[in-house]
Amino acid sequence: MKITFRLWLFVLASLLALPTLSSVKNPSSESTSLIIYSATDTDAIQPIIDAFQLIAPTTRVEYKEFQTSELFQTIQHIPKEQMPDLVISSAMDLQIKLVNDGYAQAFNDPVTEALPDWANWRDEAFGFTYEPVVMVYNKTAFEGKPIPQTHEDLALAIRNNDSFFMHNIATYDIRLSGVGYLFASQDEINSSISSRLKENLGRVMTQLYCCTSEIIQQIASGDALFGYNLLGSYAMRYAHNEPNLGIIYPQDYTLVMSRVAFITKHAAHPENAKAFLRFLLSLEGQKIIAQDSSLIALHPKAQGKFTASALQQAYPLRFKPIPLGPALMVYLDQLKQQRFINEWNNAIMYDVVVP
Amino acid sequence: MTKRGYSLQHQLIIRTALLMIIVFVVLSAGVWDYAKRAADISFNRLLNSASLSIIERITVRDAQIDLDLPYAALSILELAPDDKVFYEVLDHRGQHLTGHQQTPAPTGYHPTSRPEFYNAYYKGEAVSWVIQSKHLTAPIANGWVVIKLGQTRRARTELADEIFYSALATLFGILLLTLLLVWLGVRRALQPLSIISNNLHAQPFNNRQPLQNTPIQEVAPLVDAINDYQQQLLTNLTTMKIFIADASHQIRSSLGGLQGQLDIALQTTDSHELKSRLIKIRHEYQKLTRLTNQLLAHALVTHRSDSLTPQKIKLNTLVEELLTEVVRDYAHTDIEFSYTAADQPIQLPGDKISLKEALKNLLDNAVRYGPDNNQIDITLGRIDEQTIEIIIDDSGPGIAPHQRRQALQRFSCLNPAISGSGLGLAIVETVIQAHQGTLKLDRSPHGGLRVFIRLPGTPL
Repeated sequence: MKITFRLWLFVLASLLALPTLSSVKNPSSESTSLIIYSATDTDAIQPIIDAFQLIAPTTRVEYKEFQTSELFQTIQHIPKEQMPDLVISSAMDLQIKLVNDGYAQAFNDPVTEALPDWANWRDEAFGFTYEPVVMVYNKTAFEGKPIPQTHEDLALAIRNNDSFFMHNIATYDIRLSGVGYLFASQDEINSSISSRLKENLGRVMTQLYCCTSEIIQQIASGDALFGYNLLGSYAMRYAHNEPNLGIIYPQDYTLVMSRVAFITKHAAHPENAKAFLRFLLSLEGQKIIAQDSSLIALHPKAQGKFTASALQQAYPLRFKPIPLGPALMVYLDQLKQQRFINEWNNAIMYDVVVP
Repeated sequence: MTKRGYSLQHQLIIRTALLMIIVFVVLSAGVWDYAKRAADISFNRLLNSASLSIIERITVRDAQIDLDLPYAALSILELAPDDKVFYEVLDHRGQHLTGHQQTPAPTGYHPTSRPEFYNAYYKGEAVSWVIQSKHLTAPIANGWVVIKLGQTRRARTELADEIFYSALATLFGILLLTLLLVWLGVRRALQPLSIISNNLHAQPFNNRQPLQNTPIQEVAPLVDAINDYQQQLLTNLTTMKIFIADASHQIRSSLGGLQGQLDIALQTTDSHELKSRLIKIRHEYQKLTRLTNQLLAHALVTHRSDSLTPQKIKLNTLVEELLTEVVRDYAHTDIEFSYTAADQPIQLPGDKISLKEALKNLLDNAVRYGPDNNQIDITLGRIDEQTIEIIIDDSGPGIAPHQRRQALQRFSCLNPAISGSGLGLAIVETVIQAHQGTLKLDRSPHGGLRVFIRLPGTPL
């Protein structure tokens, strides 16, 4: 069963990997153009682009969607003259690696002063969302059962009741998802029990997916009961319309992921890129993120349910943003990556069922 | 030729400022160097601790060199939060193992476990690198594994700048403070000068009181000097007043005598008596002429000694010229002149005209007060390297020791029988004093007057 699942998954991933253009293909030399290469769903980003078009109606925005690792490869290999103006990705580590290797240019602007320190590296890489890494559960299935509130709780719950969790936990396949890899590596850095938790997840045949949205659909439909390390932004939006979906912000630590944008060094339209980034980080743009996109606003003054301040108020003292900085590159080291994926394989997939 | 006026205060402050600026620049260069080195040392330690933590995670596993890159290694480097990090690990064959590709190495690097620091550009950025090696002795991997770890220099530059600018601010403060202190000090030091000049200005010229003594040790000599000078000036002024009073008295009495003789002569009808009156008048007239000449000569030598810069005088030539003139004047008399000079000619700095006038006066006096068969000897000699001596002897009556001091005073006439202006020796003394010499009267071997003159002079 698992294999078929994977095959399906692979096809889906390949489909997603196909570049999709949201607007007319145009020679990028036009000074009114803005070319954005992004690893974010077009649906999520479209409201922001629409709002930007209102203040910059003459700018033609070309938005090209990628998978995170594909985007990383693309930026590293395309010639300078074909460079996009702006690169957006949820894979914070890959973005930092690109900035570290000199693909970005500085953006010095008063708008960046509102950003917390961890969301700004060298005035080149900027985090613009505040997306907690959460656990999601099916409320009906968990009726009368204790809800694990920490990573420790989860490890214990799996050990004590492995028949309940068997085949019912879903999480990222870190070999397919850059974001999943980032979350797993951050668990390793932040928690002393992450190996134990991995072992337990492996014991109950945790199912692996490429994307949060699929896992959430599985849980909502009852095909899976519990999701580990999921993107809070998708979960919150989904739970908004699906009361059967419960979200856990782990009390010991809740990682916070931030989508990272940078202006490329060889941007053909740096002024347009700056205007867009300025809008993206401004309170105005952040309000759009909070209201209309499926993301969560980072700006401390942004109001509403889908904002950092609302989350911090509702679930105090647990959020642990992943800071932008060169330390993110540790798990991108070739040898380290091999070793980590090996260990992860050994833990999660030690008991592969051959059909 | 005189220098244009300048302010001591300005000059001192400007010179101090220049000196301080030089000191400031030199210190700044030193501080800049120190700041750079201090920043480099601190961040090199950081770099080295990261490279050490990496190097200890290098192992040999499954017949392969393996590195478990520690998270701490790069998170330590985040202490410089805005700096990029690059690293590369090369295996024992020098092949790339992990990390960035083709990172720079220092020239002529020999693998050693000691860390080596160097700067090199990488990916268009100035990067500070550490290179360090670990020796593996496993059978499949025998050799040095090399780790290169680099960090951009933003934090170093910031730290160096911070050290530099804060030190510079301190230095600048010290500079300003020093200038302020110098300004205050100079003002304070020069204050007595303006007090003294104000005091001098405030006093009327005729009624000069000595300046008040000052407790300031450095200024006291100046006040004393001014007081001395003032005292001397007042004395000279008094002397001058007396001289003018005396001179006018002498001239008036001479003129009065002349007037009286002329009046009597006018009323005389006897031609014999008229002749004797005319002789008296002539005598009075000669006296007056001599007096006038001497007064003018005195004024001349005083003026010249005050205003002329000394020239070199060949004394022998001068004396010989003078003697020639005098001998010619008295050729018809029985007076004998003798002249003795040292072998070496003598020269001295001074005013030739004044000196000649003084010597002439002495010779005239010797002739005038001496007998008809007078013997007058002139001797030039040297006392030592710096002093010369002129001796004039005559065989006249001489001057008694108790009268010698009086003889040098103006208008003193020791012998009323002989007509003299009373100025001759006074002129001589003025001239000799103007030449920094001394004049002494004594008894000559012939029983007459001997005049010693000592002057500063050297052999030619």
